Amino acid sequence: MGFFSGLDTEGYDRQYTDNQLVRRIWGYFSGYTRQLVIVMFLVSVIAVAGALYPVLVSKSVDALGEDITTQQILLLCGAIVAINLTSWCANWLRRRSVVRIVGNIVMTLRTDVFQAAAEHDLSFYDEYVSGKIVSRITSDTQEFGQMIILVTDLLSQIAQAILLAIILFTIDWKLTLFLLAFMPLVFLGALGFRSLARTTTRRGMRAMANVNASIKETVSGIAIAKNFRQESSVYVEFDQANQQSYTVNVRRGLVLSLVFPTLNALMGIVWAALMYVGGWSVYMGTVTLGAWFLFIQSVDRFYFPVLNLSAFWAQVQAGLSASERVFALIDAEAEVVQTDNKPVRALKGDINFVDVHFHYSDQSHILNRFNLHVHPGETVALVGHTGAGKSSIAKLIARFYEFQGGQILIDGQDIRSFDLHSYRGRLGIVSQTPFLFSGTIAENICYACPSDATKAEIAALAGQIGDGEWLEALPQGLDTEVGERGVRLSMGQRQLVSLMRVLVQRPAIFILDEATASVDPFTEWQIQQALNLILRDTTSLLIAHRLSTVKAADRIIVLESGVIIEEGTHDSLLSKGGHYAGLYNTYFRHQSIDYRPEGLDEFLRHKAEIPAD
Amino acid sequence: MTTLTATSEFTHSTAPSADRRGPVRWITWHAVRHGWLFLVMFLGAFGNAALAAAVPILLGQAFNIMNQPNPVVNDLIPLALLLAGTQLVRGVLQFFRNFGAELLGQRIERDIRNEMYLSLLGKSMTFHSLQPVGDTMARATNDVREINFLFSPGLNLVIGSGFFLLVPIFVAPRYHPSLVLVPILFLIGYSLALWQYLHELAPITTDVRRSFGRLNTRLAEAIDGIETVKGSAQERSEVERFGENARRYRDAFIRQGDVEARFIPLLLLVLAEAAGLLQSLLLYQQGLLDVGQVIGYFGLLQLFGFPTFTSLFAYSQVSLGVAGARRILELINRQNDLDQNVQGHAGPMRGEIEFRDVTFAYPSGEPVLKDVSFRVKPGQTVAIVGQTGAGKTTLVKLVNRTYDASGGTILVDGIDVRQWNLEALRRGVSMIEQDIFLFSRSIAENIAFGNQGASTEVIEQAAEAAQAHEFITGFPESYQTVIGERGVTLSGGQRQRLALARAFLTDPPILILDDSTSAIDSATEDRIQRAIYTAARGRTTLIITHRLSQIRWADLILVFRQGRLVAQGSHDELMRTSEPYRRIFSE
Repeated sequence: MGFFSGLDTEGYDRQYTDNQLVRRIWGYFSGYTRQLVIVMFLVSVIAVAGALYPVLVSKSVDALGEDITTQQILLLCGAIVAINLTSWCANWLRRRSVVRIVGNIVMTLRTDVFQAAAEHDLSFYDEYVSGKIVSRITSDTQEFGQMIILVTDLLSQIAQAILLAIILFTIDWKLTLFLLAFMPLVFLGALGFRSLARTTTRRGMRAMANVNASIKETVSGIAIAKNFRQESSVYVEFDQANQQSYTVNVRRGLVLSLVFPTLNALMGIVWAALMYVGGWSVYMGTVTLGAWFLFIQSVDRFYFPVLNLSAFWAQVQAGLSASERVFALIDAEAEVVQTDNKPVRALKGDINFVDVHFHYSDQSHILNRFNLHVHPGETVALVGHTGAGKSSIAKLIARFYEFQGGQILIDGQDIRSFDLHSYRGRLGIVSQTPFLFSGTIAENICYACPSDATKAEIAALAGQIGDGEWLEALPQGLDTEVGERGVRLSMGQRQLVSLMRVLVQRPAIFILDEATASVDPFTEWQIQQALNLILRDTTSLLIAHRLSTVKAADRIIVLESGVIIEEGTHDSLLSKGGHYAGLYNTYFRHQSIDYRPEGLDEFLRHKAEIPAD
Repeated sequence: MTTLTATSEFTHSTAPSADRRGPVRWITWHAVRHGWLFLVMFLGAFGNAALAAAVPILLGQAFNIMNQPNPVVNDLIPLALLLAGTQLVRGVLQFFRNFGAELLGQRIERDIRNEMYLSLLGKSMTFHSLQPVGDTMARATNDVREINFLFSPGLNLVIGSGFFLLVPIFVAPRYHPSLVLVPILFLIGYSLALWQYLHELAPITTDVRRSFGRLNTRLAEAIDGIETVKGSAQERSEVERFGENARRYRDAFIRQGDVEARFIPLLLLVLAEAAGLLQSLLLYQQGLLDVGQVIGYFGLLQLFGFPTFTSLFAYSQVSLGVAGARRILELINRQNDLDQNVQGHAGPMRGEIEFRDVTFAYPSGEPVLKDVSFRVKPGQTVAIVGQTGAGKTTLVKLVNRTYDASGGTILVDGIDVRQWNLEALRRGVSMIEQDIFLFSRSIAENIAFGNQGASTEVIEQAAEAAQAHEFITGFPESYQTVIGERGVTLSGGQRQRLALARAFLTDPPILILDDSTSAIDSATEDRIQRAIYTAARGRTTLIITHRLSQIRWADLILVFRQGRLVAQGSHDELMRTSEPYRRIFSE
């Protein structure tokens, strides 16, 4: 629906100029010059045929003036059929070509964007919300493709209109001018309507957002309402939202219902005027009857292109904005820059931070002249308040972010000199909210498997975790489908799968950002077992949230504001009564088996007072 | 206003009952209720088409005037005025057609959404437990909207273009009877071509939609999990996978474009115009038609342009609307399971619970609980532990008859739950689920949700007992603070405490708590624990918990594994008898 499109697009602050965008877009067309030439040719054919058709019809009207022979009639109609057939075939071929060009270009664009996005470092992902990235790759590219199709369609119509105008001009320039004088009126009228429709649409959308939120809430709250037998009160709320939605939409519908009736009535007035003025021209002999007919026929051949033109600029702008959003993704600057590309084959796992400075894009310093040496095979636990720098250290080792000063040496070599892909292949990383892809558990465990890992090996490894009991709790064992993002598994099970993924990889360096969500004690025990298996053979850096983790570490590093303030084992640090002891009291105390929560003693006393029955 | 009938749990007395035997019948039933709008639409469409025919007819007459040897040009004036006038009237009629259709669509959307919501309110707790909210929302917004579009622009254009197809057939014979031939042939050819086209296009558009969905889903996963992707150095394989999906989409897109490019009705249109011209010229040659009539007839044939260009879009709107109606009807017509049992037991509840050999399986067949037996004395605190999928949540939902057991018996106060009056049973059992739902209202309103007339003191008392009073008064507007999307966001622990306060207010003899929140710091943990211990005092409490301290100090511990109760007893008993239990309490 060309005229009504693009009424609900939001404004977008443009940074690239139209010229830059067009030039860049043109770059994507460069491989298709042959097809473009064909399309241009076909467009010309369609324009000529489209212009000739009314001319031929008017010629036959002229022929009616004299005595027309059967032969003439057959000839004329035959020519008309031939022209229309040609036009239809040309249009068919044109659409086929255009859809292939656009389909291919959009696919190339999409692949380019995703490739660029995948290679970007994490600072990019901090800036852009993932939903927006996805919509740029799928929806904005789509919008871009639609714009191209629209442009070619409109070009076709306009070429035809211009050709027709030239023909009319040669017949009678005065009548042509009279006819064309109406077109700006139509154009302005259409623009006015679009602007009005836009306003009501925007207002409508805002109201609808509120209404949808109400509907969502009343629908989600049905279960609770039933729980408390409050069905009537939620119904009242729903009813209000429903009625409001109706009112808002009717108002918008009123405006949209007016558009075409008004424009059609306007067209009728143009016809009436042309009928009268054209009649005079016939009377004065400046045009023939046939030509008069031609002029009247031409009205809607100008009318519809002008209508579509009124929407054109907005649509092109929307398309350009879409392409800009796409290019902005590709062009985002990389922050993590490697100096060399040395492949990494085997690592012992020696990690050395030497006077490291680090801060995120626009924040104050996280690490300041930071020093830490982790020996191969050591298990180090990092503790500290939020913002102390724990996850930053882990992210720097994984080379997700760029640091601003000092050195990070892995096995004595500068981390910047590695080929990142092969370096990361030697790491095993589990983040706070473990991420699973839709597929089976086996597929997730083997996400980054060396190609020769077999199912039997995985099963054997799985069996090493607490007698493999965790697999029995799953309906199809290793073949259980986990759902999107692993939604069919519990948090604990997702953690187990992530740990298994690491076990299979057999990394030299293991980085774990522990989850804080609560897990049932049985799964918790299994996670412990899996963790122990990993810790045995790797250099491990654990951002600890669990008491069992800090107790199991060889060394605990206590961080505050990016500085190491205490170091030692759990018992030694606790007895010091310093910062660690405070952290323990705040974060770990309730995890101890001997924890007696507040209110427990009162509770137990109350129980003792009830007579047993 | 609310009545509990025999088979549904809630009915609204003023709602009429619709004909729900099939999507088309249902939509028709709704449309008929607004019959007068249909009339307006029909008259508007008819008038629009009829007056559209006035243009070629009047033009033809104008040509006849000018074709005479000594034409009087000013004879054209009345014709021109008539033309302008009819087109203005036509505009008005077209507006009536459009707005009539629009009103119809909006009213039906509103009515259907209302019907759907009332039906949902009447469904059992079982239904709501099984039906994902996202799916319901999709039907309540998208599918209902499709039904709206079915009428406007769908039926609007279908009826409109229908008249445009008929008018030439009825008007052409006034020139000469044989001129009806070409329009009729066109109508037949057009219908066949359109049917074939839609038939061919349908599977392709489904394919396009599906491959777009697949492209989107895997992409969203890769982007959400980019840390995992990069951490495992899998960028290249993700790009390859994406490229494959993008290729598949492109192929479907091109296939659709190819079919759309081959739009036969357009070809039929120009052939019809040429054939009509041929026939009318031949008739003119034989002296049966004059110039004006030839022109008029040609213009009439051009009326076919409107249906040719809009029909495709219109018919697909109609079919989408019917599909949407089918989905909504499926939801509404889904059977209810439980009945109210108004004659059942309704005395005061002591809070004794017993399970005897209880077995439960979902309608889809997966078994969840097997041979579960235990007994809880009134006032006891029971900790239910086990891994996910062990059946814990399902178990507690059997107590308030959200589900009914497939085998065995559940007794409350020694009476089978199926013999209790459902309302009385539910009044005595209060459940706090894992996902706590709070309304976008003030805190006070949320706490008093079950007891809408509660006084401020009572509300504050409940909040104090739930350890929530402190953080509530910390907000600038205290108990009047609005929470939710348009207000303040609460943490998991805060939501849990509000839910506890809400439960306190109803003072149930049996409290069921599905506790899965975790506290990051010990101070919050202390508060939550305190609130739970306060809640558990003086009532039978079933807690699904991970917290070691709650498990340890419970009166009775039930250990589940894969739907079976594998161990029960006090902490000391279990430490003696169960190896897995002992493990979780070891260092």
